[in-house]
Amino acid sequence: MASSQPARKKRAAAAQLALLPMAITVLGVYIGTVLWSVRISFSSSKIFPKNDFVGFSQYERLFATERWTVSLHNIAIFGVLFILACMVLGFFLAVFLDQHVRGENVLRTIFLYPYAMSFVATGLVWQWMLNPGLGIQAAVRNLGFPEFQFDWIVNQDKVIYTLVVAAVWQASGLVMAVLLAGLRGIDESLWNAARIDGVPRWRYYLSVVLPQLGPAFGTSFVLLAVGVVKVYDVVVAMTLGGPGNASEVPAKFIMDNLFTRANVGLASAASTVMLLTVLALLVPWWYARSVQSRKLVHS
Amino acid sequence: MSAVVERITPPVTAPVQRKAVHRKSHFTPARLGLYALLVSSAAFFLLPLYVMLITSVKPMEEIHLGRLFALPSSLTFEPWVQAWSAACTGLECRGIQVGFWNSVWIVVPSTIASIFFGALNGYALSFWRVRGAGWLFGVLMFGAFVPYQVMIYPLVRTLATVNLFGTLGGIVFIHTVFGMPVMTLLFRNYYAGVPIELFKAARIDGGGFWRIFFQLMLPMSLPIIAVAVIMQVTNIWNDFLLGLVFAGRDNLPMTVQLNNVINTTTGERLYNVNMAATVLTSLLPLAVYLISGRWFLRGITAGAVKG
Amino acid sequence: MQFTLKQLALAATLAVSFSAQAQKANVIHWWTSGGESAAVKELADAYTKAGGTWVDEAVAGADNARAAAINRIAGGNPPTAAQFNTSKQYHDVIAEGQLNDIDAVASKEGWDKWMPKPIVDAIKVKGHYYAVPVNIHNPAWFWYSKDALKKAGVASEPKTMDEFFAALDKLKAAGLVPLALGGQSWQEWITFYSVLLYVGGPDAYLKFFKDHDAASVNGEGMRKTLTALKKLHNYVDAGSPGRNWNDATAMVISGKAGFQIMGDWAKGEFGAAKQTAGKEYGCFAGFGPKAPYMVAGDVFVFPKTTDKAAIEAQHKLATVFTSPTAQVAFNNKKGSIPVRTDVDSSKMDICAQAGVQAMKDPSRQIANPDALMTPDMVGAVQDVITKFWNGNQSVDDAVKALQGAVKG
Repeated sequence: MASSQPARKKRAAAAQLALLPMAITVLGVYIGTVLWSVRISFSSSKIFPKNDFVGFSQYERLFATERWTVSLHNIAIFGVLFILACMVLGFFLAVFLDQHVRGENVLRTIFLYPYAMSFVATGLVWQWMLNPGLGIQAAVRNLGFPEFQFDWIVNQDKVIYTLVVAAVWQASGLVMAVLLAGLRGIDESLWNAARIDGVPRWRYYLSVVLPQLGPAFGTSFVLLAVGVVKVYDVVVAMTLGGPGNASEVPAKFIMDNLFTRANVGLASAASTVMLLTVLALLVPWWYARSVQSRKLVHS
Repeated sequence: MSAVVERITPPVTAPVQRKAVHRKSHFTPARLGLYALLVSSAAFFLLPLYVMLITSVKPMEEIHLGRLFALPSSLTFEPWVQAWSAACTGLECRGIQVGFWNSVWIVVPSTIASIFFGALNGYALSFWRVRGAGWLFGVLMFGAFVPYQVMIYPLVRTLATVNLFGTLGGIVFIHTVFGMPVMTLLFRNYYAGVPIELFKAARIDGGGFWRIFFQLMLPMSLPIIAVAVIMQVTNIWNDFLLGLVFAGRDNLPMTVQLNNVINTTTGERLYNVNMAATVLTSLLPLAVYLISGRWFLRGITAGAVKG
Repeated sequence: MQFTLKQLALAATLAVSFSAQAQKANVIHWWTSGGESAAVKELADAYTKAGGTWVDEAVAGADNARAAAINRIAGGNPPTAAQFNTSKQYHDVIAEGQLNDIDAVASKEGWDKWMPKPIVDAIKVKGHYYAVPVNIHNPAWFWYSKDALKKAGVASEPKTMDEFFAALDKLKAAGLVPLALGGQSWQEWITFYSVLLYVGGPDAYLKFFKDHDAASVNGEGMRKTLTALKKLHNYVDAGSPGRNWNDATAMVISGKAGFQIMGDWAKGEFGAAKQTAGKEYGCFAGFGPKAPYMVAGDVFVFPKTTDKAAIEAQHKLATVFTSPTAQVAFNNKKGSIPVRTDVDSSKMDICAQAGVQAMKDPSRQIANPDALMTPDMVGAVQDVITKFWNGNQSVDDAVKALQGAVKG
């Protein structure tokens, strides 16, 4: 009511100015470097990027490389299990901590500390704990259960699950933190009203809290998805891609070819394939979200 | 505008402490079950830490015997001293303390800058209509998935041309840029949960873009700022590759020394020192987690709708 | 013109300090463990004594260090010197014209006359010298625990592969782990090319690695190797996959395992556990007194620069690194052997002395795979070998896969 035409435009200008750094970053850094790396994927670059053109030969080589196809297969399994487990565990931890428990601070730090630690050392600890001769299998057998088996990490079919366990251990604390922040933003009076109506606590969570946590779940999902695409440290620290190539992941394939094998062209091709996959998954989801009505203010 | 702010601020200055314990003292089965679940989850999370801590106080001969879960038979704190001040990191043997302040100088401005821009972007995207902003945000989200190793070479060349390669400013810029997607997402989704009536009321009271941001939205964002601080401090403090490439020899973060202590191609591995060094490096993010506790408060926006 | 003594002294001081600053050398390397640090200190001290200033830029992890060096070159802020292996890793950098040559030092020191041929082949490209070698490492040694072998009733070091298998059998029967192996791709790789060299023979080895001859892959040498490898896998314990090489050495140190096939850097772990070569553990590099001796090691390259002071520093580094005193001091601490044969080897442990003896015979010298194949092809072969080692692939299928890898 009080806003006049010139004032309305000024406010929009302020918003545009504020978003300028983001625009520069997106266009200059992200789009620029992605386009550059796609360009390089069509070259024969070895240790330094080269400006020649070799068509699709890097991509042909890529998909003829068994290690790459194994890594794609692994990341799919890892991705689904990891995201599911982290969301569920993170949600329950957040809900439990939201119940006015004693020592919430300490408990929250216990669930979050894995995130603080460099995976180089913690991954090694997980490798030791899961090693059949050294860790949990040996300890349980010593306790008097000689038939106990827990040697997934040396088993080519099961090693990917050990990576999921260690990665969930590291990341679910963060999901818990995000969801807890979301929970804390929910009005307490809603619970009081529900209680008066005789709604049990779990029902309240299901029908009132869960829907309101939509954005927080969205944030967690994206954080976890980014983690899945980039997963590297846990693999290097726990299995180095082994046994054989059984626990290879795309980020490790890219790193190895970028640096150790001096194969910048192949690494760029792999990275482009990963990005195309992400795009293929993101675009439908983005379209679905933009169709939903958003509560935007008209300037 | 100020009237709205007055209505909002009281919960912030007088936070609802969860010490209101009237409901808490029932030892119902549900309550006991809750604690049981929390304690067993805590045990799962703590097991690796237990192994790390006992490994860090054992001598190497005992570690080589391989009894992973056994308590140390001869306790020694030498590895901790070594890790901090005497472990070899190249020609120098001064431990990981060397890079501590460098890491601080990198983390503080990078965290502040990336959170500021994230909050600003999230605020502008949530409440203001700017042409093309939604599309820009989508591409930014896509950018979060780009493996940053592939981006290193072009960024090296770009920073070199503006003389920022190998400088503190350069590494802060890099961290801000890499943090932008996730920070923007964090704040945008948080503001999506803020009642739109608050914003409308503030506009009616005559608030402009910046005033609403600084006086209304930011103070209301403490829980998500806590999460953002946790994420950025952790990611930037633990970052190795970007610091190694972009920070320059005089600004190398602590993670470079940590890598030099832990990692080796063909040298001896002192696992007790490695574990001690890892725990020491993680103390700063852990302290941040503990301190951020006071921001996970309930009721920041409570009462605002009714008011 | 007359100058007072004071003025002359001042001028002399300025000249010395200027030249000391002028030979500032930023050196990237990956020697960060305690033993390696003591070794690189010998090089740094020698350089300082010769009038230079050493600025240390250590980055642990060979891949990290090389990546850091490459990125610095790309960013226009190259180090004075950067560590690589005696290999083809830096040949692409040479092809891009990003390295300075050190022909001046090479001709002055007469490298052509005394440097072992496998090293010269790795550092001399198109007639120019681009790298200075600092040591010779042999990645294909056999290490054994004297205790473990005594317990199993193995009387002497195996002189052939069959004797080796017999010893492994005896260890297995005694309840010990016959072969300690860390199941990481690069360790399986060492096992593969060691067996190829010692069992398949130098001819088969060179045909594969040097000539990339696909036909030889189906020949007797390689097939014998692959069969032996399959058999060897039975002597490795179940917890092997993913294990660090140090943990495998620890098994030998504690007598839980009999043998390990690893490079001579393993002496660092034995030494850290206070064991002495010849007393608690033994070593041999191949079967029999005429076994081929693999030449690998570390070199330093000199990124391209036109800065006169930097070039002076680079030449000084190259001279110092190959000087007799620095060679002895450095290699004694590093556990490798010097590149020069004209130095005093009496202070070295018996394994190193055996290595020096072997190097005296040029017919026994053989280049390591990294010096014969590009990193890309090495990687491709490694992928094939790790799959073969960890799976149930037949020798025929492995042969086909190897042929595909060397076609590259």
